Amino acid sequence: MTDTEALERAYRRWLRYYPKAFRAEYEAEVLGLLMDGARAGQRRPAPVEYLDLVRSAACVRLCPRVARSERSVFAAIKAMWVGTALEFVTVITLVATMGTVRANDASQDPGFSADQWHATVAARIDPNVIGGLVAIGFWLCLAWSIGRGHRWPKVALPVFFALNLYGLLDGVLHDAAATSRPDLAVAFVLCLVELVGVVLVFRAKVATSTSRVGDYPSLP
Amino acid sequence: MAKRTMQEATFLILTALASGSQHGYGIISDVETISEGRVRLRAGTLYSALERLRVDGLVRVDREEVVESRLRRYYRLTPEGKKQLAAEAARLQADAATAFGRLGLAGGRAVR
Repeated sequence: MTDTEALERAYRRWLRYYPKAFRAEYEAEVLGLLMDGARAGQRRPAPVEYLDLVRSAACVRLCPRVARSERSVFAAIKAMWVGTALEFVTVITLVATMGTVRANDASQDPGFSADQWHATVAARIDPNVIGGLVAIGFWLCLAWSIGRGHRWPKVALPVFFALNLYGLLDGVLHDAAATSRPDLAVAFVLCLVELVGVVLVFRAKVATSTSRVGDYPSLP
Repeated sequence: MAKRTMQEATFLILTALASGSQHGYGIISDVETISEGRVRLRAGTLYSALERLRVDGLVRVDREEVVESRLRRYYRLTPEGKKQLAAEAARLQADAATAFGRLGLAGGRAVR
């Protein structure tokens, strides 16, 4: 294998980090540019080229790919980030206050054992922490999908909103004594954020249907 | 809502395309010249920026050609790209004039 062939093969390997649509559109050009800039006898990309390819591939994969003029889309993404932050704070608070919960339980019941504490964690804390982490993943996934112009958030976000609203109303109407005020406040704010997200996603009709990767204007 | 300011690389790419269509290598060379060697764009950065600019409707493909069996695509500014570049240049000029004025240097403007 010649030096040129080895270098081209190495560049192609690193270009695989880009999304398929991006590669279909630009791979030949990027490769040509990289090969034109190569030194005589170079067989492998320079470290700075690796870093550039990996960094820009991550950017192409993660950054929103709708026009910046679509303000509703970017506002919806911000709403998803607010939801993520709220869930994150909730999970951190749950974990950070475990000691206080244990101390409270122990003060109310002098015979409170380690087994009872493990049962409490399994029944009351673990489900909430796991649920919070799943919700964080879901919020992030929604933010990414809205930014990529995918359509499924138009279905998922209203369902998410309806479920949380049902949980909030159930907590207020039937389980008010067992539900703490901070829990209700967080659930209320999350519902508001979801409602804002739903409105914004439905306002961004053009962005979520046409401004996707690969939908480039054709040559004149 | 305050409008986002343009990143320097974006501004330089649009400036490189302001005088006519260019291919990737031409843009990189021109950006280096415009920035007096301060900004050296790499291939990955350039094409992720071009893709972003195409999605935003500021840049479009002008024509394609094959040179020595390699694809060469020429990019050009759209009317919206020209408008946004002019707006950003005016903003930078106004900021620079204010800075010069406060420093008491030539090219500044009186600021109360």
